[in-house]
Amino acid sequence: MFKTENPGNAPVWVNTSNCKACDICVSVCPSGVLGMRYDHTSTLGAMISIDHPEACIGCNECELSCPDFAIYVADSKEYKAAGFSFAKLTDDSKERQAAVVANNYMSLN
Amino acid sequence: MAFNYDDYLRVEKMPTLWCWGCGDGVILKATIRAIKKMGWNMDDVCVISGIGCSGRFSSYIDCNTIHTTHGRTVAYATGVKLVNPDKHVIVVAGDGDGLAIGGNHTIHGCRRNIDLNFILINNFIYGLTNSQTSPTTPQGMWTVSQKNGNIDPTFDACALAIGAGASFVARESMLDPKKLEKVLVKGFEHKGFSFFDIMSNCHINLGRKNKMLSAMDNLKWIDSITMPLKKWEALSKEEQLNVFPTGVLRQVEQDEYCDMYAKIIAAAQGKGPKITQDDFAKKI
Amino acid sequence: MREVISTGNELAAKAAVEAGARFFAGYPITPSSEVMHESSDLLPEVGGTCIQMEDEIAGISAALGASMTGVKSFTATSGPGISLKAEQIGLGFIAEIPLVIINVMRGGPSTGLPTRVSQADIGQAQYPTHGDYASITLCAGSLTECYTQTVRGFNLAETYMTPVFVLLDETIGHMHGKADLPDLEEIEASIVNRATFDGPIADYRPYDVPMNKPAVLNPMFKGYRFHVTGLHHGPTGFPTEDAQQCEFNIERLTGKINTVALENDGLDDLPDYEEYMLDDAEVCLIAYGSIGLGAYEAVQKLRAEGIKAGLFRPIMIWPSPAKKLQEIGARFKDKIFVTELNMGQYSREIERVIKRDDFTTLLKANGRPIAPAEMVAKVKEML
Repeated sequence: MFKTENPGNAPVWVNTSNCKACDICVSVCPSGVLGMRYDHTSTLGAMISIDHPEACIGCNECELSCPDFAIYVADSKEYKAAGFSFAKLTDDSKERQAAVVANNYMSLN
Repeated sequence: MAFNYDDYLRVEKMPTLWCWGCGDGVILKATIRAIKKMGWNMDDVCVISGIGCSGRFSSYIDCNTIHTTHGRTVAYATGVKLVNPDKHVIVVAGDGDGLAIGGNHTIHGCRRNIDLNFILINNFIYGLTNSQTSPTTPQGMWTVSQKNGNIDPTFDACALAIGAGASFVARESMLDPKKLEKVLVKGFEHKGFSFFDIMSNCHINLGRKNKMLSAMDNLKWIDSITMPLKKWEALSKEEQLNVFPTGVLRQVEQDEYCDMYAKIIAAAQGKGPKITQDDFAKKI
Repeated sequence: MREVISTGNELAAKAAVEAGARFFAGYPITPSSEVMHESSDLLPEVGGTCIQMEDEIAGISAALGASMTGVKSFTATSGPGISLKAEQIGLGFIAEIPLVIINVMRGGPSTGLPTRVSQADIGQAQYPTHGDYASITLCAGSLTECYTQTVRGFNLAETYMTPVFVLLDETIGHMHGKADLPDLEEIEASIVNRATFDGPIADYRPYDVPMNKPAVLNPMFKGYRFHVTGLHHGPTGFPTEDAQQCEFNIERLTGKINTVALENDGLDDLPDYEEYMLDDAEVCLIAYGSIGLGAYEAVQKLRAEGIKAGLFRPIMIWPSPAKKLQEIGARFKDKIFVTELNMGQYSREIERVIKRDDFTTLLKANGRPIAPAEMVAKVKEML
């Protein structure tokens, strides 16, 4: 089964049963939020991981670019109404994103 | 909460059978978002697909769906729409389905200006049957049916649609899903044949032997061959040859086929005047 | 009874509209075009739609599309058009879409003899496309039957959820004369509409039906969303390759027509054949379509000469009336005379069913009809 429900109060969350490790979401995130982790039980041996949710700026690029309905971003209005806020884009997060891309989209940790 | 895709998908059929990173999924998502923007009830929507990877589009979307034979989507859709003129019909075909075997039906769909939304998922190859040449595969690329290189010149799908008389013609790619969603909405709103040339990546088939093995490489290539219309118009003729303009390329108001047929019915039932040449701006 | 003066093609179009058809899509082809011409007049009068498509394939595709959404539809063509439509006919078979396909037969193969008569699409009507399936094929043997068998075609299509062939030949399609048609009230009372499911939407499974039963396809856009495909599919219409499901599918597709016809001695309550002077006959003529008309006269001529001839005229060609044919084979043995405008396409079926090959045939495939005198001569030669 396939959930678009936010499991907690995260700005971004994944449905791992749908993820095919195509790397596209990692490549389009401006903020270094995402990375792929090795996972021998899944497609291509990797799985999406939300490494830095605190850096998510809510741009929605990952959700819109995911072909498999595997990653979701909280609706901006609802998220703010619930008292949460997205981060702002910083030089640090941009650098981290560049590093992840250079690392073949794998998590830096 | 995020956008509730569950309402629009046959969730028990997920995950999709498309390859990792295949643009078909992004286009499906953008189509769903566009349907939501239009406020359409899924009971009133019919999605008709053909044969190919894009053919599985109709399996995943939760509305009235039809999976037809290769190349005949527009013909089946014409029948569906003519007897249900107030319903919303979306037609999905690949570049082979829509431009090769289905070329004739696509041309006549454009000509009739029947209110269909024709999404051509153009990944420049025959994907499902593993890498044969399609009418949009660039010359010189390697395909399994032309192992010494493709010498077939390509169609410009939008030019073909405009030539055939389609009243709404647009091109986008799945590189910018926000723009894609916007252009789909514009086309869905348009009354008449809306033709969308949506460029997509098939890194597994086209990309594999043409130096674009990853989804990102294939997307970079699509990025390099597309450009918004205004910028494209500023290019020289030589430069224009190797870049496709994106955005809405044509949009005109024109008599829609079902509306015209309603006049035929009225005339036959004595409730309206008979049609003459004077009813048409174009008399030849 | 309504007495009209018309042609076979026009009567077929009239029958379609009076049987409830509200959509025609097709393409011009001699000698069937008049069905489309007449439909372009009759259909908008009743709020229906008639469209000339860009080719034969688009013609049947649009008709199937309209039928999938719940509207009774038909198309009309000749032999070359059926050849072009083959793939879509297959989709109609496997997805179980009701459709009436009128074939006004002409000389073949290929372009053949466009303006001349034949009955050479009999074999094609049984196996018009690749794969396994069962065909329902009717053949009109008079102007009246151009009307009544077309109405019947729609009722059979809706009952068995399948494409149905209604064969005319060029002679009957273009024949202009008097026809006695049943009253409109009688026709309307006989109309069959496809079965629908009225239960909860979540419980609807269109292809979840028992062996030898047809699928239940609700009209579209009414809340019952389902998937139609030409692939093998499971109970909800979704594609599958499951071995057991596919085995069940094929058995049900062929059984829902062939097995039912055998078990119930036919597919409906209407006559599948006509017998003329067969009760005390000593020689049996077998002919259908316009050749049946000539065979009546041949029987009368033979009787006048003291020969006890009778005529067996099949009306439902496929599935063939096997039980009756076997009776005829057992009773008349080699005193059977088959005449048709092809190189023996129905003769083959007769041979297969009666398990004898010693009957006489008079076959012609040069675009000319077979005159009663020719039949009389050949029967006398046989005796």
